[in-house]
Amino acid sequence: MLRVKNLSKVYDDGTVALRDVSFEVPDGEFLTIIGLSGSGKSTLLRCINRLIEPTEGEIWWNDTKLSHVTGEELRRARRKIGMIFQHFNLVDRSTVLTNVLSGRLGYVNPIASVFGRFPKNDLEQAYRNLERVGIREKAQNRADELSGGQRQRVGIARALMQEPEVMLADEPVASLDPALAHSIMRYLQQINREDGITVLCSLHFLDLVQQYGTRAIALNEGQLVFDGLPREIDDERFKDIYGQEAERIG
Amino acid sequence: MKQNKNGPRWRLLRNILLMVFGFLLYAYAVQATEVNLRRPLEPQRQENLVNMLRDLARPELFAYETETRSVHLTLRTPCPDQPLATQRPSEGRLITLNPNCATTPQDRLTLVGEGFPVFARGSLRWHPPGDDATPRQLTTFRADAQGNVNVTFTLPDVRISDEPQTIEVRELVGQRIIGLSSASIVTWERILETIFMALVASTIGTLIAVPLSFIAARNLMETVKGSLGNIMATIIAIPIGSLVGGLVASFLNQTTLQIMTQPVLGVGAVVAGAAAAWGLIVFGRSLLDSRPLTGSERIVTQVRLAGVVLLTLFNLLLLAYLGLPAGDWLRDNLGFFGFLGNLVYVLSDFTRLLFPSLVGLAAILMAMSLGSRYGDEAIRRLEGTSARLLTALLTFGGTAVFIYGIGLGLNWLYQFENLDNWTTSPALIGGAVAALLSLAVPTEKQLPLGMTLYAVVRAILNTLRSIEPIILAVIFVIWVGLGPFAGIMALTIHSIADLGKLFSEEVENIADGPIEAITATGANKMQTIVFAVVPQIIPPYISFIFYRWDINVRLSTIIGFVGGGGIGYVLQQNVNLLLYRRASVMIIAIALVVSLLDYVSARLRNRLI
Repeated sequence: MLRVKNLSKVYDDGTVALRDVSFEVPDGEFLTIIGLSGSGKSTLLRCINRLIEPTEGEIWWNDTKLSHVTGEELRRARRKIGMIFQHFNLVDRSTVLTNVLSGRLGYVNPIASVFGRFPKNDLEQAYRNLERVGIREKAQNRADELSGGQRQRVGIARALMQEPEVMLADEPVASLDPALAHSIMRYLQQINREDGITVLCSLHFLDLVQQYGTRAIALNEGQLVFDGLPREIDDERFKDIYGQEAERIG
Repeated sequence: MKQNKNGPRWRLLRNILLMVFGFLLYAYAVQATEVNLRRPLEPQRQENLVNMLRDLARPELFAYETETRSVHLTLRTPCPDQPLATQRPSEGRLITLNPNCATTPQDRLTLVGEGFPVFARGSLRWHPPGDDATPRQLTTFRADAQGNVNVTFTLPDVRISDEPQTIEVRELVGQRIIGLSSASIVTWERILETIFMALVASTIGTLIAVPLSFIAARNLMETVKGSLGNIMATIIAIPIGSLVGGLVASFLNQTTLQIMTQPVLGVGAVVAGAAAAWGLIVFGRSLLDSRPLTGSERIVTQVRLAGVVLLTLFNLLLLAYLGLPAGDWLRDNLGFFGFLGNLVYVLSDFTRLLFPSLVGLAAILMAMSLGSRYGDEAIRRLEGTSARLLTALLTFGGTAVFIYGIGLGLNWLYQFENLDNWTTSPALIGGAVAALLSLAVPTEKQLPLGMTLYAVVRAILNTLRSIEPIILAVIFVIWVGLGPFAGIMALTIHSIADLGKLFSEEVENIADGPIEAITATGANKMQTIVFAVVPQIIPPYISFIFYRWDINVRLSTIIGFVGGGGIGYVLQQNVNLLLYRRASVMIIAIALVVSLLDYVSARLRNRLI
């Protein structure tokens, strides 16, 4: 169970990204997060694994106070939270295999990993995860030789290496061809259903939200403006979330 | 009013004012820079210039065997009231010196010759009075198409004497190349020295600049934070670490010296030490195993690790002591490869001398890491008032250590009369004040430790970078004496500062995405740097390293001018002695090497990136 309580984030320049956001995510949920660009979706996801420091409020994962752990504890908390990104955030000049193996960094002996030595089990697991996302044969290619869809699949394989309990997905399909979006979303759905990993996924397209999400929350200017089932978002709710000017597409 | 300000009239006025200001500026600049067109037009200076350029155009590349024939004309000092000319025929040539005397070095003498072979070359030399006086070259001459010679010259100094002195007209009859000139040989030796100076300086500079560049990169350091207690515990650990390190180093040194009374024993100890370290690594639970450790397992692992580290250090020292005589022997017996023996000797010597500092530094770093971890943990285990009191205590200690350290540093420079006034008292007072102030800081508040380090390292790099290498060379010449070693030190320091800045800016320019992604996996700082930062910076780093080597070659030619070794040293000597034909060889060599290096580095860069 992930609990977010009265979370606020004010950036150093005074921008208020999140205002008093509270919600809960039971285990095994596929939570979709919608909202306009700049509504605070990315900030919310990054506060959970502390890539961004929250200003106020608490975040709990079961008994761990995610919002306040530091040092070694923070690293142990982070390794249970996988994350995939809009721009994939792969290390372009490294091989696909190295990118995937780097998902184990929170577990392995730091010194050994710095010299590129990973346990045999991890290596086998890396190949299994690459096979799972269908690009095992690309293992020795450099990451920048792959297409967009393939790159996001490497991102998923990397996150899976963490054996995560929660998966954060920050607009995972926004920089992909719409035709590829479903294939990536299906991988997320699969790890949600088969591995029981709780997924928090921010999305732009409402049809994706309604097709894959088991629940949806909406942010508008940093405030939580909707928390319910995806199919409850009708035209009126849509205008509440996106503003009166918005039109539904897709 | 506002409209007026932008009106055409105002603009015109502004432009006129700007033009007047510019005019005044340049007018003053002309005076300040002492622009003087008359001096360069003086015939004597023009002649000097022409002679120099002609010498430079004829580099003394080869050694010649020359055949000359000389005619001596008597020179009288001082001139009589009625100066006369001397005329002397010699094998079809008629040579006239007019006047045949000089009173002051300003007196101009003219030598006219007829009947020389067409375009014959030669030189004029002055034989001062006295039998053992060395002749001095005055000028050179060249006959024209009709075989006529006409040179005007002055004497560098005039020695009034009754003893005979002569002007020798030395005509070049024939010459052939017998090998490389001494200038070429010296140039070859020194240009090699220059290239190696640049190579060593660039290498050492790079090795030190790489880790520094991570500390000097804002994007990496911004996220490094620590609580007050954490930081203070780290500072307190510094003197403890250096004390422990010093004890360990002196113990190892004593033991090694005892063992080394019997070199055979030393060899045995090295083998035994290596075997023991290997045993500690191999037997028992794998040290690379990442499964969580139980309490007792943790202790066993730490003892094993400490054992491995100590044995490694011990072996290093033993090897250094063994390397001294071994290197000496190799140097004498390897013939051409004697330089390998020299390397063994120098490395051993370095290891032996730097061993205490090395151990001390390692111990300090270890102590700092332990202090940081346990300081932080202790404060987070305690709650409320006790955490606050512990923070205050640590702050007292940390601040006191810090101030005491600064006091010692100042004392080293200024040699105070009463040391306590600068160390103990301010440390105690400062510590107490800081402890009081610390009560106002929340114990868990994360302070920007990284940005503080960033600012300090940046400031040091910028300061070092602003000191020109030639000034650094002057300092090091005083410390380590004339020669290339001083030059290497100066270039290394400058390379560290320069590369540190260039590298860190490259780190600041990399994509943040991968860093974010690697951090999100739970990687620590070191892992994040190796996996997310290093792959991104390798191409620019390589390109900067070559660029720096290129710069170092050029700088090392200049550094020689102040005694820092390399080709600059001999170039400057030749320029001072007005031996422009020799200097020319060196200038050409520098130009060749710099352009060759430029070409090679461009090729390598293209291939590697």
